[in-house]
Amino acid sequence: MTAVHRTVDAVWKLESARIIAGLTRLVHDVGLAEEFAQDALVAALEQWPSAGVPDNPGAWLTTIAKRRAIDHIRRSERLDRKHEELARDLDQQPDQQPDDVLRLMFISCHPVLPTAARVALTLRLIGGLTATEIARAFLTTEARITQRIAAAKQTLADERVPFELPAGPELAGRLSSVLEVVYLIFNEGYAASAGDDLIRADLCLEALRLGRQLAELAPDEPEVHGLVALMEIQASRSAARIGPNGEPVQLHEQNRGRWDQLLIRRGFTAMLRARDLGRPPGPYVLQAAIAVCHAQAPTAEDTDWRQIAALYGALARLLPTPIVQLNRAVAVGMSAGPQAGLDLVDALLTDPALQNYHLLPGVRGDLLARLGRPAEARREFERAAALTANSAEREFLRRRAERLADDAPPSLSLGQATADFLRREDLDAQTLRAYAQTLRRLCLAVGESLPLAELTPDRVAQTFELAWAGAAARTWNRHRAAVRSFSAWADLPDLARTLDRRTEPPSLRRGLDLVELWARELPLRERVLWRLLAESSAGPRSVLALNVDDLDLDERRAWTGKTWITWRSQTASLLPGLIAGRERGPVFLADRRRGPGRPPAAADVCPHTGRTRLSYERAEYLFKQATGHTLRDLRES
Amino acid sequence: MRFLMTALADDNKPDEKLFTEMAKFIDETTAAGILLATGGLEAGGVRLTSAGDEITVTDGPFTEAKEAVAGFALIEVRSREEAIELGRRFRQIVGDGVSVIQQVYGPQG
Repeated sequence: MTAVHRTVDAVWKLESARIIAGLTRLVHDVGLAEEFAQDALVAALEQWPSAGVPDNPGAWLTTIAKRRAIDHIRRSERLDRKHEELARDLDQQPDQQPDDVLRLMFISCHPVLPTAARVALTLRLIGGLTATEIARAFLTTEARITQRIAAAKQTLADERVPFELPAGPELAGRLSSVLEVVYLIFNEGYAASAGDDLIRADLCLEALRLGRQLAELAPDEPEVHGLVALMEIQASRSAARIGPNGEPVQLHEQNRGRWDQLLIRRGFTAMLRARDLGRPPGPYVLQAAIAVCHAQAPTAEDTDWRQIAALYGALARLLPTPIVQLNRAVAVGMSAGPQAGLDLVDALLTDPALQNYHLLPGVRGDLLARLGRPAEARREFERAAALTANSAEREFLRRRAERLADDAPPSLSLGQATADFLRREDLDAQTLRAYAQTLRRLCLAVGESLPLAELTPDRVAQTFELAWAGAAARTWNRHRAAVRSFSAWADLPDLARTLDRRTEPPSLRRGLDLVELWARELPLRERVLWRLLAESSAGPRSVLALNVDDLDLDERRAWTGKTWITWRSQTASLLPGLIAGRERGPVFLADRRRGPGRPPAAADVCPHTGRTRLSYERAEYLFKQATGHTLRDLRES
Repeated sequence: MRFLMTALADDNKPDEKLFTEMAKFIDETTAAGILLATGGLEAGGVRLTSAGDEITVTDGPFTEAKEAVAGFALIEVRSREEAIELGRRFRQIVGDGVSVIQQVYGPQG
């Protein structure tokens, strides 16, 4: 990029929101408005390098963009008087009104759009970021962002989302959607969920700017000021929350001298503005109040945890999310002692939303360490480390685990036992793979270092509930079988004993491909049996019970003793081959003679061959091997 | 990125128009979330000089009036170019004179 290009880029970022907002008011289409604004940007890139940057670049861009819009309307196919008027109006209307940018924010955060699209569109239209910049911030591809923005614009056009300020109760709802997007952007930057950077500062700054802008545009909304206060104070700690090696530094260990006092003061000011509006505090104001409590404490020891716990209590009533509950547990742990905190945390262990959330074991580990239970604390930190996607945080948690003395006598850990179990040689590879899946999930849930002797059926049941409560019965039973097999191998009482076996629903008939089945090379007996079932719709048991002398081949039917079974041409053409001149005895015969142990009933033995009747179980097994379906599926397909 | 924009004193006599335009500029940059702090500085001031164990306190002025810093604005922007662009707009409002833009390294880096 040349110097002029960089200047154009800077001007664009400063001006684009106002230009696009002004145009949207005139043409009522965000996509179109942005196109015209982009045309102006292209013109600037062409002309400024030689002609120099104009004195008022914002006005220059606005004029060009407006001219493009008027040209477009004049050129448009349905050129008629109305368009002519519109173009004239456009020429005369003021470039922008004070609320234009706010309206644009409401559009780009409109609830008809999926959250990811709202974020991308807001950064694009209000922040003036390019698709490349957005993609980099969200660790995705430029193509995906471009596509997401295009789809969002299309949706807005299809839904005819108006360019207006919602009134009354709708305003609050729409505003909260905007606040949510801004805070989402901030958090994406502040607590980078993946990758090696703990902070993606650019996103934080972008969100802060959006928030500050919003506070000027909607000054009477306390939640807006609350959000700004929250972000300013959180951002004030950016420098202090990362240690020299990139590891996270927890709030109470942060060097408060590195907190940015300017941002803290700005946060306090925003908080006062919120409070002056004199309305009951909403979730952002409450979160900001908590941030203010921390910021006001000169040292970590001076933190007013009682007040913070009370604020979390209020927040949990408004916003009873598991994360809020977890934070509340931390505050209670500080104000009322680690045991009180642990009780609250333990109540969250069964919350499915937190099952893969590394802070849950992280907080538990902290509380356990303070309770003087280092071995358990250590395991929790190890588990937290295994769950986090952020490498700096993982390192940090591992070190915390290592620092805790492990006085317990060495004992076989679950992880070790799992590894030994999976090295067995008497199982086929497929079974081992399935077992490995179950046991790895178990290890992740309770911690690999948990002594095997401490693994209780209750802990196993908890894991099952969290991991597979919604799984298909078959999956559930497979995992259950794996745990039972593991218990037996490890000489433990059955760890799955509190888990019920689930009844598997009849498998779906869909997916049984008959054309493919008939095209296969099949043994004659199976071919006849399966054709007969498919053509007659009779039950497998009654078909297997048929004897040769029940058949009426000419009429294509057989008498079961109660009712007729009938079939069609395919079965009819195959049956004589299977009967092969037999006159009595079962139609379908087993492959082998039955052993001497249990002599079969006379009716089940073929007088011609001495073979017994094909059993239902065997027939079912054969079909399942061949197709994965049950015979009953055949009958109804 | 934070930048400190300082304006050196000049001979221009501020008039009504300048005040209105400055107020508008400050409102706009505040509304855009850019302007963090701003202020004017007294002419002169006090200078502290340490040499060895000795600290000397002297009253100003110390330089030609034209070289003294008369006001500052602390801004938060995305790039140096944005800072320069804002500086340009500021200079257009206040007329002939000199401004200095320096990046501020601090807690925020």
